[in-house]
Amino acid sequence: MPLDHLSTVFGALADPTRRAILTRLASGQASVTELARPFEMTMPAISKHLKVLERAGLITRGRQAQWRPCQLEAGPLKEVDDWVERYRRFWEQSFDRLDQYLREVQSKEGNDGLEE
Amino acid sequence: MVSRSSVANPTKPELIITRVFDAPRPFVFRAWIEPERAWHWWGPKGFTTLFCEMDVRPGGAWRMGMRSPEGTDHWKQGVYREIIEPERLVFSYAWEDAQGKPGHEMLVSLTFAEQGPKTKMTLHQTAFESVESRDGHRQGWTSCMERFAEYLAATEVVAGSKTACSGEMRKRP
Repeated sequence: MPLDHLSTVFGALADPTRRAILTRLASGQASVTELARPFEMTMPAISKHLKVLERAGLITRGRQAQWRPCQLEAGPLKEVDDWVERYRRFWEQSFDRLDQYLREVQSKEGNDGLEE
Repeated sequence: MVSRSSVANPTKPELIITRVFDAPRPFVFRAWIEPERAWHWWGPKGFTTLFCEMDVRPGGAWRMGMRSPEGTDHWKQGVYREIIEPERLVFSYAWEDAQGKPGHEMLVSLTFAEQGPKTKMTLHQTAFESVESRDGHRQGWTSCMERFAEYLAATEVVAGSKTACSGEMRKRP
């Protein structure tokens, strides 16, 4: 996923209401009315959140005449998961090196001047 | 070596790693903020540091370059937000593109706690800053106000009295 789009996904996930909407959709698709229910929010406000989620590819909306169900899309969340794992690996490896560095320098320098 | 990673909320792009180091806290803290120390460890296995510069003060910039075992160079940069030696360090973090322009900004928060002669360090990285963490920082104040306006617009009820101020905010694109 190009970095620009990942940024769009992150921006969409930055809002707690939108994260709550996604958590709800993880248990199955829902109408806008259903999604609006837990929040004391106007329909335009919820629609605004849904547009952000749709633009980021996190949800898709059905096109049936009577209702347009919102559905969670797994792809972008998988990309977020991959991002988390990439950085977890980066830091764990860095911390292995930090651990090694701290041991080496302590045996060389001792604790002189390190305590404050 | 003791390491623990939390499994965070799957909708939140964040990671938390806790690690205990067999070294006193001031020493571990300084390994992060002194370039001649950070040089030796910051980066994945097999990478070598090319450049490391740190202006360690709130609002100060840092920049690092490293080379992969395959020979590709990676540059990253950021700005320090909080420095409370030896217990807390917060900075932004972004990779640079080929032109040196920073990409998506992430936020890294570190806390260091004494555990006898050892140090328990916790890293918390997020893909975005919360509105709360931006409060009080000059940088990002405008976007904070925009988000607050959006929040007000989203939570106002259609029926009921509205001030002229929230009316204006509703007209914002």
